[in-house]
Parts: sequence; C-alpha cells; structure tokens
Amino acid sequence: MSVNSATSDDDTPDDGDESGGPEEVEARVGLRYTLKQVRQDTTARIGTYIVGFMTFVAVFAAFDYYVLDYAIAEAVLYNPETDPENVRRLLPPVGMENQFGQGVMAHPLGTDHRGRDLLSRTIYGTRIAMTVGFLATAIGLGGGTVIGAVSGYYGGWIDDVLQRVTETIYAIPFLVLVIAFMTAFGRNLTFAMIGVGITAVPVFNRLIRSRVVSIREEDYVEAARAAGVKDRNIIFRHIIPNSFAPVLVQATLQVGVSILIVAGLSFLGFGAQPPTPSWGQMLSASRGYMLPAPTFSIFPGIAILITVIGFNILGDGLQDALDPRINN
Amino acid sequence: MSLLRYTLRRFAQAIPVLIGIVTITFFLANQIPGDPVDIMLGPTPAQEQVEAIRARYGLDRPIHVRYFAYLSSVATGDLGLSIYYDRPVLEMIILRLPVTLLLMLSAFAFAIITAIPLGVISAKRRNEPADHVSRIISLIGVSTPSFWIGLVLIIVFAFYLGWFPARGLVLPWADPTNVRGAATQFQVIRQSMHHLFLPMIGLGTLQMAQITRIERSSMVDSLQGEYVKLARAYGVPESTIVRKHAFQVAQLPVITIIGLGLSTALGGAVLTETVFGIQGMGRLIITAINNQDYQLIMGTTLVFGFVYVVGVIITDITYSYLDPRVTYGDE
Amino acid sequence: MSEPLLSVRDLKTQFFTEDGTVRAVDGISFDVHEGEIVGLVGESGAGKSVATSSILRLVDSPGEIVGGEIEFKGETIFGLEEGDDGELRPRDEMLTEEEMRKRIRGREIAIIFQDPMESLNPVFTVGGQLREFIEINRDLGAEEAKEEAIDMLREVGIPAPESRYDEYPHQFSGGMRQRVLIAMALACQPDLIIADEPTTALDVTVEGEILEMVTELQDKYDTSFIWVTHDMSVVAEICDRVNVMYLGEIIEQAEVDDLFHDTKHPYTSALLDSMPRPDRTVDELRPIQGVMPEAIDPPAGCRFHSRCPEAREVCREVHPEPRELSDEGEAPHTAACVKHDAFGVGYDESPPIETEATGGFSAGFTETGGEAE
Repeated sequence: MSVNSATSDDDTPDDGDESGGPEEVEARVGLRYTLKQVRQDTTARIGTYIVGFMTFVAVFAAFDYYVLDYAIAEAVLYNPETDPENVRRLLPPVGMENQFGQGVMAHPLGTDHRGRDLLSRTIYGTRIAMTVGFLATAIGLGGGTVIGAVSGYYGGWIDDVLQRVTETIYAIPFLVLVIAFMTAFGRNLTFAMIGVGITAVPVFNRLIRSRVVSIREEDYVEAARAAGVKDRNIIFRHIIPNSFAPVLVQATLQVGVSILIVAGLSFLGFGAQPPTPSWGQMLSASRGYMLPAPTFSIFPGIAILITVIGFNILGDGLQDALDPRINN
Repeated sequence: MSLLRYTLRRFAQAIPVLIGIVTITFFLANQIPGDPVDIMLGPTPAQEQVEAIRARYGLDRPIHVRYFAYLSSVATGDLGLSIYYDRPVLEMIILRLPVTLLLMLSAFAFAIITAIPLGVISAKRRNEPADHVSRIISLIGVSTPSFWIGLVLIIVFAFYLGWFPARGLVLPWADPTNVRGAATQFQVIRQSMHHLFLPMIGLGTLQMAQITRIERSSMVDSLQGEYVKLARAYGVPESTIVRKHAFQVAQLPVITIIGLGLSTALGGAVLTETVFGIQGMGRLIITAINNQDYQLIMGTTLVFGFVYVVGVIITDITYSYLDPRVTYGDE
Repeated sequence: MSEPLLSVRDLKTQFFTEDGTVRAVDGISFDVHEGEIVGLVGESGAGKSVATSSILRLVDSPGEIVGGEIEFKGETIFGLEEGDDGELRPRDEMLTEEEMRKRIRGREIAIIFQDPMESLNPVFTVGGQLREFIEINRDLGAEEAKEEAIDMLREVGIPAPESRYDEYPHQFSGGMRQRVLIAMALACQPDLIIADEPTTALDVTVEGEILEMVTELQDKYDTSFIWVTHDMSVVAEICDRVNVMYLGEIIEQAEVDDLFHDTKHPYTSALLDSMPRPDRTVDELRPIQGVMPEAIDPPAGCRFHSRCPEAREVCREVHPEPRELSDEGEAPHTAACVKHDAFGVGYDESPPIETEATGGFSAGFTETGGEAE
C-alpha cells in the first residue's frame, strides 16, 4: 500500500541521515545514552515510573502464582474457593452500596459475579497483560527486523516478495487476522501472543527497511563492504545498532498497542481462558452486570488505561529524548 | 495522467494483495481443527449423510483443488455457501456490510470533525492550557480500549442518564413499517442517529485521538514553515495563515494516518458491535468462527481486507488530489 | 543628505532561552536612504537575519525586541519610552500589530528569503500565491492582481508566464523560484525590500543572473534594498553602502569602495582576505581563524578580540562603540576598533595577546567564513 510508504517519512521518529554523519548517529545510540536522556525528560520519567510499577505488580503476581500458588493473594484477600460459605457476589467497592450489599474492607474494589475479589484479580490481570504485551512485541520486533533488514539490504526480488507478503498481512485488520489465526491454531493465550506479534511484524519491517535502505548508502557501510565484511555482519553490526533509537520508541508504543489488542481478544473470548484472570475477560464477564454493579466494569478498564498510558508516555518521551529535532 | 486512470491503476495494483488475502484466509480456515459437518449433524451422523454434505460444500476434494476453485469463484464474485445460515455468503455480507460501513463512516466523521479543530488549536496555542487539555484528551484516547469506552458510555448515558439506547441499531434506510415507534422515514433516521451515537463515539475515540496527535504535530511543523513566515511578512492575517497557508500542507500526513487507522477501526468495529449488540460484519465473523463456518470465515475476512484496501486507495487518491507534488506516477 | 527612509537606532533583540539570554542583535544602528542598496554582511550567526526580522517586527518566540528605535518614513515601527512607573513601555505612536500587518509588511517593506525551495507553499500554485500577496498589498481585485502577477513574472524573466502562472512550486527550478520571490517583493511596490541571502542557495551562474536582474529592476523601480549576505563578492557587485556585523554588533560601516580600499576593522579585513579572488591563488586565501563565540555569553571587551590577529591587552578590556573615522568632506565611515587613534585608549602601548588568529590556538580550527546561515 502506498499509504505505508508515504508515512515512513513522517512517522519515523528519527531521521539519522538528517542529523549529519555517522559519528553523530553513533553518539546517539546505546543504552547509557538513552538512560541519560530519559532521566532528563519529564514525560519519559513519568512513563518509566508507570511502566516500572506495572512491571513490579506483574512480577509480584507471577511470583505468587508460580512459586507460592496464590498464597499471598489468599492470605490477604479471601476467595470463594477457600471460603465457599462466605461468597458475596458483585459487592461494590468499599464505602459504596448497591443491591447486593455494602462494600467491605476485605474487598476494597468489590467482588465479581462469582464473589472473587476484584482487586486481586485486577492485580493478577497485570501479569497476563504485561507478559503478552512484551512477548508479542518481541515477536513482532524479531520478525520485522529480520524481514526488514534482509528486504532493505538485498533489494530486488527478495524485497518485492517480502514486502508484498507483509503488505498483505497488514491489509487484513489486525483483530480479524488474529481471530482467524487463533481459530486455525488454537484459542489460547500463546496463539493470541503469536498472532498479535505477527500483526506487529509489518510495523517493524517498515521501520527497519527504510532505515536500512538509507543507511546502506552511507559511506561507512560502503567502506565495510569494500573491506570485505560479510553482508550479514554489516546488517547486524552496523545497520541494526544504528536503528536503535526509533526501534526502541516504536517497540515501547507497540507494547501498549499489543496490550489493547489482547484485551480486545480476551473480551471476545479469544484470549486467556477462565479462570485465569485477564482484564479483557473480566470486562467481558462484567457486561451482564452493568446495571446493578457498574463498578465491576470500571476497574479492569482503568487498569488497561493506566498501563497503556504508561507505555505511550514512555514512548513519546523516548522519542523527544532521542530525537535531536525536538518538535514539542 | 488523469485521476480516473490513476484510480484504476491503484485498483489493479491492489489485486496481488487481494489474492494474498484470499490465500491467507483460505489456508487459515483450512487449518481449523474439527469439521463443520460434525457441528451440523451432531456427534453420530450417518456416513452417507456426511459424504453428501461434504460433496455439497466441495469438502471432499484435495486442498489445492479447492484453493484454485475458491480463487476462481471469488474472482467471479461467488463466495460460496454459508453452512450455518444455509445461504450464500455474499448474501449475508450484503446484508451486514452496510451496517458496519455506517458505523465506520460515522466514527470517522466524528473523529475528523472533533480532531482537526482540536489539533489545530493545540498547535496554534502550543504549551498553553488549551494545548495541554487537548494533548491529555488525545493521550487518554489512544490508550483506552474502544470496547471499554463503549461499556462506560452504556453505563453512563444509557443506564444512568437514559439518553441513548444501550443496544441495537436501526438502519436509516429501514422501512418505517418495520421500525417500532416510527411512522415516517424521518423518524427512522432520527432513531437511527439516536442508536448510532454511542457506538460512534466508542469506535471513533481512538481515531479522534490519533488524528488529533498527528494534526497537532503536523500543524506545528507547518506553522514553522518558511512559507508561513513569508505570508506573515507579506501582511497576510494570522487567521488566514492558520486556516489556509499552514492548514492545507498540514493535512497531508493526517490523510495518511486516517488511511492507516482504517485497519484498527475495522478491528474496533468487531468489538463495538459486540458491546452494543449490533448485527454487522463483526458479529458475522464471530458467529462464523464460533460455528466453524469455513466459507463464511473466509468470506468475511476477505471482505474486511477488501474494505481496508478500498479505504487505502481512497485516501491515496485524496492525498494525490491535495498534494500537487504527487504526479500520477507515469513520468 | 535627505531624511533616511529607514532608520535603525541602537536596536537590541534578545532570545530568552533555557540556557540564558542570547543577545542576537545587540545595539545596532544604520540607515537606508531612498534608492540605495545597503549591505548587511557577516558570518553565520552574526545576527543579520534577526536584525531584518526585527525591522518587520516578526521575531519568533522566544525572541523579542528589547530596545532601540526603528523609524520608517516618519512612522515608528518600534520605540520604547519610560512610563510613570519607571517601566519601559511602547510609545504611543508605535504602530500596532494590526497596522504593521496592514500598512507595513508587504506593502511598504517586502522581504525575499534565503531558501527559495522552502519559501513557496508547495500546495498552492505559484500564480495564486503571487496574486494573493498583490491583492492584499495593493488593493487590487482578483483579475487585476492576476494580470499584475503575470506581468511581474515576465519582468523577472520567467518565460511563458501565462502558463507558468498555474504551475506549482515543485515544477520550478531553484533559480526560477527565487525569481518568483523577487517578483512577489517587487509586485507589492514597496519602498524597501529586504533580501535575506537570496542567492546563497543558488549556484554561481544563477546567482550572477539574479544579481544582474536585481540591479536592473532596482534602477527601474528605484526601490531601496537591504541586502543581507555573507559573501563579500556579492557586496562588491551590488551594494552602495555596507554594514559589517559581528556577533550582534555592527563593527564597520562605509560606502562600498571605502570599505574595500580603506578597511578600518580587522574583522572586515579578515572577511576580505577570506574571499576568493581571481588575482589570488588558493594558497593566498586566509580563512578567518577560529569560530564565532556564542552570542549567549559574548567575550568581554571587543567581541572580535579572541580571533583578531591584531589583538592587544586593551582589546580584552575596552568594548569599543563605533566611531566616525572619516576625514571632513569624505563620505562617512565608522568602525569599532580601538587600534584607531580616535579611540585614545592606549592601544599602541598595550602588549599584544595570543589569540586564535595569532597562532595560539589556530591549529585544528577550520574556516567558517563561507557557511550559509
């Protein structure tokens, strides 16, 4: 699609070739430089805090789940499985009242339609969201980088074929593609992740390919080739490291996008299967109780919102921090 | 080259992509475990019955034969039979597609009408309070799942305030005799808009936010352009500069983003239709999948891809119309 | 001499950035008389462009004109006075923003920008842009403005102007676009045209053609010009009088012949020495040593002392204001260098100091004379 090619100039967050020679590009890559820039940029810092906090919650939930078998969750917040006598369905958050009763301290955000604590389920939903967000992005990044680099570096028919294929993938609306993919291969979280990862491939492919095409012509790559360095080494040693900044920005934003898509999939019943808590599936369950217990629908959504905002602010902040032509 | 020839050429260029979509959906659909016949006939069907059904839907032939058969029938506009509905797939799609298109069009109309002023004001008053408000709105907009916006809208505007209906959709071209509480076509249209309002916002918010962001940054760039400085130096009023000189250049990236947003919006339509119980293409594909209706899955996926491709071509044409630098490609 | 058309007195324009206040234009004074082409010369970053945008009161934020006076045909473009509370405030007779836009910009003072590629709006036709400016600044109807625009395009040497009128900027070459910009300026019939490095982005042959054309048209229309450039050969070709700027100040002011043959400021000499000339070989070219210091924290004393081959101890201490150095009966010639006796600060007795230009730091620095701004 020519829309794709038309944007590559506009939304590529960073234009290495505009800012001068390779020395300058080199100076702006690398982890240490990035960290320094992020520390100086307020938005990027706020984004880091949110993402850091969510990651911490996710790691805590994963630890409790895998290692302690929900020991912490159950000690703090009782669940219907351990206390069937005491099940109180669709309680409102503490301090509020609805037709099912009064909010209690034990369930600060209330309970769901099975009487399970909403706060703990929201916390455990973080684990799914973050894992899927990161892994799907990693799949998209890996696939897109390889395809984009090969395609941009070799050009010719390889480029044509690969670009046609990614274009086709891009032409099917992501959600529809992932649903079709999961229907074909399996309706579980692993395939949701792979599916969402595949939809991200064209994004990174486009980014890397346009960088490779422009960098391929740079003198130092020519020089490396003239000196007999193998093509593969040129791609991995020179071209990919030089694309670090825009890829980092795009990847950060893509984690947020992936979380949104996976939440949508779970909402439609294509993601994590019950009883595994995931935000999308909680929202899906809440649909039947919107009138009597509206708060059930609110908190998982807020969790998604905050997490995705975190990644978006971090991505925007990174872009400002790493882009020499700041346009803020 | 004329615009018409350009349009035709863009469609011709899209053919490989469309064939690609058919290929992907065909092989994905054939990966689906289980057999639609099992679902139709229950757990213990009679052998002859199974074979008859398989032959009727062409499932008894080898896969590559079926692929080329499907490809050629798609080329003639035949998308096969829906097993679940027992009707031609195309008929189902013709029934449902207008619903989704209506939803999409209204969502994009809402997005564009709100986003462009918001982005322009934001750019013009950069780093002032109006800009901060607009940036926060658009940040929240790009970070919120559309289906959740739908749920919140239903809770607030349908359940608590009772301003809008929570479910369903009345088509504006529906016959008044079939619509409860409507005697004239005008009343049908009013009911339709009433129903459409919440889904439109639910689906359009993400697009609105994305367009606002790009509109802002594009206007910021454009307002710093040399041609804007020149216009100022020649005494052109600031309002004309914003509305004309800076604005028109700034819309080019916006058009591109609208084209790219189509894909997200088509996915979002599936969710929005689910939230608001609207019987459009989104519900159709979910029904198809839940019932392992191969032909319907392939047909709906293909049409989703087709709508996207057509949308992109429309944005490309708009772009080339607005940007005189785009030659129609034959020089 | 008659009243000047434009008179700039002690103009100061500053940029308030996060890193501090940039004194981009720091107290410059000069006049432009009717029918004159006045040069404004200096390296990149000397403040030439800021000075010209100050004249139109079009300094971009965070820049601001903070002091001085600009008078144009008896009207006050900029002027401050002390209010009752001791604060400076604009004088009553200073033109409002509205008046600037309606009466001055385009109509009285037009500008030609440096970059012809970026100055025209890519999505409108060349003719449409030209016509719009003519309509605004000459109160003509659309039809008349169009005729005028086509005439003007012909005047600046664009072939087949009727058909090119409807073309877009990308269909024009750089030189042709610059001609369009010149046509814009002339078509508004202003009394003064500010040409901000209009030929810098063009190649030399095109530059020559354009300079020739401007000289002809200037004779014909008798418009005054402020010609901003870093190129001394352009100055020699086109200007009547010259102001040499360095780091926000005008350090020498003279008629063009005097400036070339009786140079009074070492910076001007350095600029002249760095100019390629047919009578000199490349080896004889002497680029100016070092780089211009930042206007955010200009050196104390004479601002040029850090790069001046003739710098002495006193140059570090005394900040020279431009003084009249011409003899009676001669054309005025001012310079701001304490080596002249008129300053009387004891230059001759002061010991020479080591600077970038005297060999102290010169190694490793490259030429900065010929860069675009």
